[in-house]
Amino acid sequence: MSSLDEDKHFIERTIKGEKEAFELIIRKYQQSLLNYIGRMVGERELALEFTQEVFLRTYSSLQSYQPQYKFSTWLFKIASNFVIDFWRKKKIDAFSLDERENSSGQNPPLQVAADEKSIIQKFELSQLRIKIEDALKEIPPQLREVFIWRHINELSYEEIAEIKGLPLGTVKNRVFQAKELIRKVLEEKK
Amino acid sequence: MKCLNVEQIYLYLEKELSSAENNEIEQHLASCPKCKNAFEERKLLLQAAESLPLWEVPAELAKKVMARIDSAKILPSAWMKAAAAALASVSVTLLVIFLATGQNLSTLLLGVNNNLWNYIRNFLPILIKLFKLASLLFGVIRHFIGYLLKTFSWLAELASPQVQLTISIIVIILVAILIYGIKRKILVGEKT
Repeated sequence: MSSLDEDKHFIERTIKGEKEAFELIIRKYQQSLLNYIGRMVGERELALEFTQEVFLRTYSSLQSYQPQYKFSTWLFKIASNFVIDFWRKKKIDAFSLDERENSSGQNPPLQVAADEKSIIQKFELSQLRIKIEDALKEIPPQLREVFIWRHINELSYEEIAEIKGLPLGTVKNRVFQAKELIRKVLEEKK
Repeated sequence: MKCLNVEQIYLYLEKELSSAENNEIEQHLASCPKCKNAFEERKLLLQAAESLPLWEVPAELAKKVMARIDSAKILPSAWMKAAAAALASVSVTLLVIFLATGQNLSTLLLGVNNNLWNYIRNFLPILIKLFKLASLLFGVIRHFIGYLLKTFSWLAELASPQVQLTISIIVIILVAILIYGIKRKILVGEKT
């Protein structure tokens, strides 16, 4: 049974009243959901609480799930809205085009710079991972979000476009911006 | 081949390009130390990003959610809510009419039924024509929106947000001028 069919099967069983089937869904997606929420909110306790809330919200909305879409993209859409609500309540305008992105202005340069310094190659892989985790906290949430989905949760660009309801080109551009912004942060903090 | 751009390097690393594009890039990398250096650096960045440690999931997380789910309910979907609201509205309307006119419920329902049948008989042909017209219109609009979205997605891939915004504003102004011009033509036609 494919992962997609398996999800549909679990959902049908849950709707019919077999709540245990939903536990299988939780176990299947808890890791990727926590990876996403954790890095979006930054605090472990809060991330665990939010992960539970997102699963509860998903359970309550199961009747609205449309099986032509992948369950994982629907789940991440709920999680993304939940995180946006959280930022809004904190009165942080995090998901509009952020100050930093606009003021630093333009997209990262497309051409390879002539005097490109090899900042990243100075670090060991383990060091680099720590630096990237720190840099992630400093980039705008809307870029952080797509970066996590693409490079940590390993979603395809098409899946991210479906979650965010954005054109594929915009998603690719945002992921590219995220990576180059991380590189810029590493360069600034070398 | 001219030097690579950074986005191309990432897409190559993520295996998002065609085999012809991959070949071109590989050939260029073999002969250009500047691009090769940029490539090695982005490769390392992606390698590190894709091997970031996972957040540890507590063993009891699923059980905790399940304990809370025991008291939660699956809410009806939006159309179920709409159907329930419609049924409730009809019931309340019937009750109000019954209370206001004093007719008994069966006479009232019979009257409503007759009236409804008359309406259906009179308006059915018009409704069918309207439906045909609406589906035709819907098809045209759907195609139009499809092309519009394709254009936007194509634009988003090619141009920066600033250029996209400029093009969008120009198109909106042109459409507004076009609509205004058509309106003027019609008004002039009416006067003559």
